[in-house]
Formats: sequence, C-alpha cells, structure tokens
Amino acid sequence: MAADPSMRSGSPEDASAGAGPAAARQKWALTQDAFDRLLNTLGSDRDTAGTRYLEIRRNLVRLFEWRGCPTPDEYADETINRCARKIGDGEEIRDVGTYCIGIARMLLREMSRDRSQQARPLEDAPEPRVQPAALEIDPDRHVQCLRRCLGKLSPETRNLILHYYQGDKGDKIKNRKSLTELFGIPASTLRMRALRVRERLQLCAENCLEGGPAEA
Amino acid sequence: MRTDSVDESLLVEYLLGRLTEKEEVQVEDRAFADRDYMSALNAAEADLIDAYVKDDLAQADRRAFEHRFLASPERRRKVGFAQALARVTEEAAPLPSRIRETQNTWQAFWNPIRAWNPALRFAGAMGAVICVAGGTWLIVENASMRSHLLSMEAARRDLEGRAQTLRQELSQAQTRAEGRAAVTQNNAPSTASRSPLIASLILIAGPSRAESRTEQMVLGRGAQIAHIEIQVEPRDDYPRFRAEVHTRGGKEVLSFGGLVRRSTGDAQSVAMDLPASALSTGEYEIALKGLRDGETPQDLGYYYFRVQKQ
Repeated sequence: MAADPSMRSGSPEDASAGAGPAAARQKWALTQDAFDRLLNTLGSDRDTAGTRYLEIRRNLVRLFEWRGCPTPDEYADETINRCARKIGDGEEIRDVGTYCIGIARMLLREMSRDRSQQARPLEDAPEPRVQPAALEIDPDRHVQCLRRCLGKLSPETRNLILHYYQGDKGDKIKNRKSLTELFGIPASTLRMRALRVRERLQLCAENCLEGGPAEA
Repeated sequence: MRTDSVDESLLVEYLLGRLTEKEEVQVEDRAFADRDYMSALNAAEADLIDAYVKDDLAQADRRAFEHRFLASPERRRKVGFAQALARVTEEAAPLPSRIRETQNTWQAFWNPIRAWNPALRFAGAMGAVICVAGGTWLIVENASMRSHLLSMEAARRDLEGRAQTLRQELSQAQTRAEGRAAVTQNNAPSTASRSPLIASLILIAGPSRAESRTEQMVLGRGAQIAHIEIQVEPRDDYPRFRAEVHTRGGKEVLSFGGLVRRSTGDAQSVAMDLPASALSTGEYEIALKGLRDGETPQDLGYYYFRVQKQ
C-alpha cells in the first residue's frame, strides 16, 4: 500500500492483520476508555467529535453496502473498534476517517477471501431464495403508507417526484427533460432534488410502516 | 474537490461490482471527498433499483444486481420502497410532453372552426385579416420609433465627441499655462510656490454600464492635485459613494469613502481630489460604489483614465 499522509505511524494493514472480523471481535471489545480516546482524536469538544464519528460511521456503512457486504453495520462497527484499539495502543493517527477507510478495505479483502473459499461462478449461483417482492413488508401497506406521505408534500414537489420516476427508460428520459424545462433548472439539480425528496419519502413510509407518524 | 463530470456508466458498473479494486477505490475516494459525486452515486443507485423493479435490466445485470443488492437489509428496504413508488407513479397521470401540448393547443383551436358554417368562417377570416393588418401597423410604428432612437443616439455621440475635443483643448491650454508658469517661476519663485496647479478630469458614464472609455489626464510638472469628477445617473440616488482608484494592473492607489453627490448644472456628479504625487504615467481604473446604511455596497460603474505626467 502506498504511503498515506493520514497516518504518522502504523497502517490499516496492522490494524486488521492476523484475524478476520469475528476473531478480532472475540479478542478485543470496545471499552469506554478506548471510545473516549477515539473521540478525543476526532475533536477537542464532544459535539464536534460526535458529529465526526457519525459521519465516519455513515461512510463506512455506505462503503460496505456498495461492496455487497451482507451486514454493513456490523462491519462498520468492527472497523471503528479496530481503529479505537490502535489509538488505545498509543498509535498516532492524523486522519481517522481515511485510516478507517483503509481498515475497511482490509476487512473487505478478508471477506472476499472467505467467500472465494466457497466460490463458484455467478451463473451457477442459485436464484435468490427471497424475491424482493416478497420481502418482509406487505406491499399493499407499503403503497398505502407511501400515498399518505405523498399527500403531505406540496403539489409542486409531489408533481416532481411522481413524474421524475414515472415510466420506463425512454419515457423517463422524456419526462425528466420536460421537468427541467418546467422548473427551469439544470438536469443535475433536478436529479439531486428528486433524490432528496425520494429519501425523505422512504423515511416517511418506513416510519408509517412501523406505526410512527407519516411526516414527509 | 468539485465534481467536474460524472461518468454515469462507471457508477452503474461500480454498483454492479464490475470494476477492478483500483477503480472501486477511485470511485469511493471521490465520493467521500465530493458531496456532489456522492449524490450522483446515490441517484445512480436509485435509478438502478427502479430499473430492476420495472424489469428493465438485462439478464446479466439482473443477476449481478441480485447478487450485490439483495445482500443487505438496508438495500432490501430500498428495493421494497422502489416497488411501492413504481406502483404509485404508474397510477399518476402522465406528464404531457411540450410538443404534445402544442399540438393539442392547435387542434383545440382548429377543430371548432372546421365545424363553422361558410358565413361564420368568412367573418372569422376577415377578423384574422384585421388582426394581421393591425399587427403589421404596430411593427412599422415600432421600426419608426427605433429609427428615431438611433438618430437621437447619434446626436448624443456627436455631443460627446465635441465635449471630448473641448476637454483636449482645455488640457492643451493647461499645458501651455504650466509652461508659462514655469517661466514665471524661474523669474519669481515665491509667486509660483503659492499657486499650485490643479489638473481636472470629468468622467462620463457610457451609454451602458458595460461600456467603458479611457479618458486622458495630463499632469504638468507643477501639478499637485488631480481633481476628478464622475457624472452619476439620476437613479443612483445614494446618500454616500465610495470610489476606489486602482492601476489597470489592479494595484490599489487610493480609496475615497463618504463621497456625496452634488449638482453641476443639469448633471449630478461625485468629485474627489487626488494628490498628483500618487499618480504616475499609466492607466487607471475607478470603481464607483453606492453606499446605503444596512445594505451591501452597490457597484455603479467602472471608469478608466490615462495619466500623462510631464
């Protein structure tokens, strides 16, 4: 691995060397003292450090998700534990975020090695046992909740989200072009606006499914 | 780091797990460093999930998607949401395309006319002819007004030219006067030292604020003060003004705050006196700003002049 300016000494390889995530968890668990030291490294005041910690963890979860890890949260926590352990051992880490990403990539290599031991071509893999349509949630209830959440949006935002994601391939492209003209904004801005509304809607629908308030 | 361009297909390949590790690291590092790129990746993910739900993916992509996406509960939730969203958007009324709208407007206009009887159609046609004639008259009238405006503009330019000539003549007269003063100074130094010369320059706003001209100011050997007046437009009714004098290279020479507008005949102007020693031969720019309490300074114009030191 190339020299990383974020690390004064030690490297993610050292942090992940030897054992897989499960083995490492058995050997070492995060203590209050180690967590406090980690937060002190992230910032001088507790609020800043807490915000930075959450940001690093969110990025780690995304990274493991992108790479197809089945338990991204668990792997993100394991990554942070290893980093905290290194700090507890007296390692000086200049950029904890970059360091954690390094550890995460080591863990992904371990995960990939474990998988390859039982590897077979993708074409030979069985169809997923659970089709997405039959996921744990009742689809009709999901639609019902989504409609409730849509009802909370302004007519303009509702119009945007419904038409932005409406149709297949060609229709979708035409719709999006018409929407950029209608709202007078560039395609990239429209895309980001639609994505933000979609994320809000998903959160609202999930709250509604769990019996919470449907606030979009 | 800012997003310069986003390769959508690269993002899709990344999400389907088809890049080399080196390429994966590049995409991830860019996403963590650039919020816009992260958003583009999230948007590409949403579109990929939608395509899967609507059965728009090729077989190989579909299998890669299932292998990669259905692994984690968070992503399964996203797929579940996409299914619900697809159902709701299908039920929504389609967005009419602009072309279709235009076509519909024309059809809506012509269809009732086709149903009219011949007499009504004739009356309609006459009405249309009157409208066309009226429109033509308006266009001709407009053209005539434009021509009148152009001639007024030409007259104004002519007056400006004459003003410029007068200024040059004044400048030459000043130079001659300085020559004479120098001679007088040699003969009677005590008198010359009591009467320092002032060089004056009037800067006029161009026809538009974007247009700039370069005026000339000659500073004689004995000149001690450069008096500059900038004519401002009546609408620039600010209580105070600031003038920032820079060289054309951008180096600040002097800055005057708290200047007030004053009437000079029919015109309004802002005046300032610069020590001649602060100016050397070269080109200068004055940035004039309007100041009002509680508001950010407003740029009113940029004026350019050349100093010729003798």
